[in-house]
Amino acid sequence: MTPQPVEAADALSRWMNTVASDVTAFTGDVTELLARNLGGRDKVDQDSLLGLEQLSREFLAGHPFAVGAGAIFSSAVIEKQQGVLEWWSRTKPGVVEKLEFDLAPGGERFYDYEKLPFFTTAAATGQQTLWGPYLDYLGADDYILTHTNPFFVGGRFMGVAGCDIKVQELETAFMPILRSIPGDAAVVNASGRVIVGNSGKYLVGERVKPDSAGELRLDLNVPHLGLSLLCQK
Amino acid sequence: METPTSFQLQIYRSLPEVERADAIVNRITKAIALGMLKVGERLPTEAALSEMFGVAGATLREALADLREQGIVETRRGRSGGTFIVKQPSTPDGAMRAWFLATSIAEIRDIGDEHSAIAAAAARLACERAEAHDIERLQDLARGTALAPSPEVCARADSRFHIEVAVTAQSPRLTNAEIRLQAETGHLLWAPLATKFDPERAAAEHLALVRAIAEDRSSEAQQLALDHIRRNVHHLIDTKLTLGYAEEKQEGK
Repeated sequence: MTPQPVEAADALSRWMNTVASDVTAFTGDVTELLARNLGGRDKVDQDSLLGLEQLSREFLAGHPFAVGAGAIFSSAVIEKQQGVLEWWSRTKPGVVEKLEFDLAPGGERFYDYEKLPFFTTAAATGQQTLWGPYLDYLGADDYILTHTNPFFVGGRFMGVAGCDIKVQELETAFMPILRSIPGDAAVVNASGRVIVGNSGKYLVGERVKPDSAGELRLDLNVPHLGLSLLCQK
Repeated sequence: METPTSFQLQIYRSLPEVERADAIVNRITKAIALGMLKVGERLPTEAALSEMFGVAGATLREALADLREQGIVETRRGRSGGTFIVKQPSTPDGAMRAWFLATSIAEIRDIGDEHSAIAAAAARLACERAEAHDIERLQDLARGTALAPSPEVCARADSRFHIEVAVTAQSPRLTNAEIRLQAETGHLLWAPLATKFDPERAAAEHLALVRAIAEDRSSEAQQLALDHIRRNVHHLIDTKLTLGYAEEKQEGK
């Protein structure tokens, strides 16, 4: 094997680990804010969310690759009957707006976030997770990946915090690295779908059939995300 | 210069100033009917709407006045004011009847042709790209038509299912095309005008399509999508013929 794929896998892992540690730091800030705002109360209400917008806006300002950021709460810790999804999105260059969701169960456009994998996986494993690429219909309405971390106050699961990354941004970031590999190569998610490919052989979104004998799969060294680099032997 | 062909004329066709307010009313009404905008939601500001639609302020205000008259939106003053959607519009039977009478069979077939292209491609790509979570969502939505208490709800459930297949295909363009096609014909399919369309059968066909997508049987999924659209088109044509025939009889009296 030529050294390129291994070097490329290292470079990709470094990039994703930087994202992961920044999302972890953001989640830490969110946790601290919530703990302070709650001051021992056990249910989240509008006052407990003060300052979250500022944190999310700062994260977006400091991370141009992220298109959305915020926190989502478990219905178990919410005062009201309705979900709480505090998410800000860069709708245009330089413009950050709060995303509006239909959070009324049974509503026409009900955004049932507690069933979405970026929530369920983080809740079930207690670890960071990456979901996508997916078309976030009724949410950001964009083709994105969502990177989340669960967060806990006083040992209790509160929800997840994290960011959205546009598929196009990852393409820009990963392509130079993937182009350094001779032959077809792609970054593949935990369920075996292509995130970015360096040729028409691996198209974003498509499942890679596991039967190809000439292929080599290198796991990226990024905890819990299940990412791998696929290339030719 | 040579005379443009009929396709080229599409490029140069005039932009009807007087119909622009109607077009805005139409867009917003369809968006609410499809569930893209919902009751209680606030529309963007008048300035933002004029800019996005590319119309003069007077044209936009004319459109909003029309929507207010129909009771679909309400404008509130004050700090938390704005124009809010207050009612789910129902396309009056008269308007749907008029559509069937004015639209030729050739045009209905052509809508079906475009829809077949979009739906078959979406079904094929969904096979290649769906994850377990997507399948669960599609299964829930597939039954929607059978559970709907009224034709309007049924039409919305049907539209939502087809849009979600395109979402599962992960193509923003196919999704946009599917949304546009659903806005055009979704409500007409379930219009209680002539013979009733069977919601149970639609649900069964949706579920069969979801199974094919779940099991990555792409040629079967495409075929199921094509058969489903063909049956829809036949129903639209039947409705047209029934209404047209009834009108002729009345005229002959």
